[in-house]
Amino acid sequence: MAKPILAPALVALAQSGCGIAIASCGSDGAPVLGLGVACRLRPGGVFRFLVDRCVNAEVIEALASGGPVAVTLTVTRDHTSFQIKASKAHTGPRCNDDLPEVDRQQALFRDGLSELGYSEAQGVGYSVYETANLVAVEFAPEQVFSQTPGPGAGQEITK
Amino acid sequence: MSVITVDALRPALEGVIASIMATCDPNGVPNVSMISQVHYVDPERVALSYQFFNKTRSNLLATRRAAVQVTDPETLAHYRLDLEYEETRTSGALFESMKAKLAGIASHHGMAGVFRLLGSDVFRVTRIRQVPGPVMTPPPRESLLAATRRTFATLDQCQDLEDLFDQVTICLERDFGIRWAIVLVAEGQGGPFYAVASNGYAASGIGAEVGSGEGVIGVAAAVGMPIRIGHMTTEYRYGEAVREAARINGIVGDEPCRIAFPGLAAPRSQIALPIVDDNRVVAVLFAEDDAIMRFGYEEEDALALVAGHLGARMALLRLTEDQEALEKLPDPDPAEGTVRIRYFAVDQSVFLGHDYLIKGVAGAILWRLLREHRDTGRTEFTTRELRLDPALRLPAHAENLDARLILLRKRLEERCACLRIEKAGRGRFRLLTGSRIVLEEAPGSA
Repeated sequence: MAKPILAPALVALAQSGCGIAIASCGSDGAPVLGLGVACRLRPGGVFRFLVDRCVNAEVIEALASGGPVAVTLTVTRDHTSFQIKASKAHTGPRCNDDLPEVDRQQALFRDGLSELGYSEAQGVGYSVYETANLVAVEFAPEQVFSQTPGPGAGQEITK
Repeated sequence: MSVITVDALRPALEGVIASIMATCDPNGVPNVSMISQVHYVDPERVALSYQFFNKTRSNLLATRRAAVQVTDPETLAHYRLDLEYEETRTSGALFESMKAKLAGIASHHGMAGVFRLLGSDVFRVTRIRQVPGPVMTPPPRESLLAATRRTFATLDQCQDLEDLFDQVTICLERDFGIRWAIVLVAEGQGGPFYAVASNGYAASGIGAEVGSGEGVIGVAAAVGMPIRIGHMTTEYRYGEAVREAARINGIVGDEPCRIAFPGLAAPRSQIALPIVDDNRVVAVLFAEDDAIMRFGYEEEDALALVAGHLGARMALLRLTEDQEALEKLPDPDPAEGTVRIRYFAVDQSVFLGHDYLIKGVAGAILWRLLREHRDTGRTEFTTRELRLDPALRLPAHAENLDARLILLRKRLEERCACLRIEKAGRGRFRLLTGSRIVLEEAPGSA
């Protein structure tokens, strides 16, 4: 399968403090889900998501067990979204240089929620995480889909 | 550890904070997306909106399993729910309620025309877990149960329907802090509905008409279930709804025979609660606010109780008002000046000079009283004789006659110093003329 090439606009979107929803498949075949707090792109088109392991124990366990992964990234201001999928992901510890990026993206995320009318407390409360609990989930997308609400949602993006 | 129920999650199902949903295909490939609403159905079920046939839909039909995360906007507690798909409903109360809410959400997010409800997917909730993390203490709030009890006590003191309708709107403000409210009663089976009492508006709008299916009020009446919107949209605004209906039906020229609806110019939250008697919607209690998300599930429950009690009191007062009083009435004041009153049988509309006053059954009643007064000099009438008058063509279920008289009385109070109707005891009322009345029936009238 050819590796999808993400448009620069989507690369920028992913690291702009967007909403990050993560899903996998549990051992019983049921979906499990969680929320990420930041996204970084590494060389080679690898996505690195920072996730609170306590808040997202089920999905991290599913991924660590070799389960497939899906992540939808959504701009809070205008709901522009795309989804990336892969047959497996790697989980590992966070690095020190992850933290400034987590802080930056969370500030942007809360700012976007504020524009939608959310209170400051709601903005903070939406992304529950403890720095000490953050772990990384990494994978190279095998498929990319448009996810912006509307009839075109779910369409695969080939380039 | 106590088990979390769907009932306890209702604040998280208001859609204030976006929810997320995950599904898997038969091979275990996941799919995850933001969703606009998770709707409370009953203590064991929720419903999700089906808007497009997409991957989520395909997965649901194949595996019948889903997971969602919802967030309480006050405590900021997150909950994850495991769901099992049961059925899709494409009509009925649940569908209409979700459709109204979705339209509001879509408009709020600039997505009007993009979101369109194709069905309500109903799921059984098989498991609920609270996500670990800090939880805030919700701000203290007034007891809705105590407010409901105070309102009931006031309604129980009302001696006639007019007082009952006025008091319920006053109670909503006094006990619930709801500043804008309207009571509408059905003209006949299925509507239209006419405003008979209002509170909080610059103009009372008494007599304003809402058709079945028009706006939040009309939809609530049509489906017989409460409808509420937290992000108001023009799709459910009355002015637009009425104008659109008029345009479609080619009756735009009918504007002079409409009384302006008294609603807020820019409401952000609305709720309409049907009042049901003998399986028919006989009235609607309506409230609105200029704040978003003003009415939640708890307010809906409390106001549904108020609407139910209002309906019971209406039925009781109608029974007692059927008893005729025997008291002697004083003579009315002598009339001064001349007023020309015109009647159009085609729609039973009555005009004072060139000014529209009222139409429909209320118009026919007024015309009947005026002719009787002209021909016999009578000023005192009973509701019973109106009920028995075949010329009025009252619907088979004529118990809303009292409401029509209230409507008529209020319209005359607002529009005409020369003509009044006042109560003259149980089941009795009096026509008071402050001027000489000249009656004109439009050509072609019966």
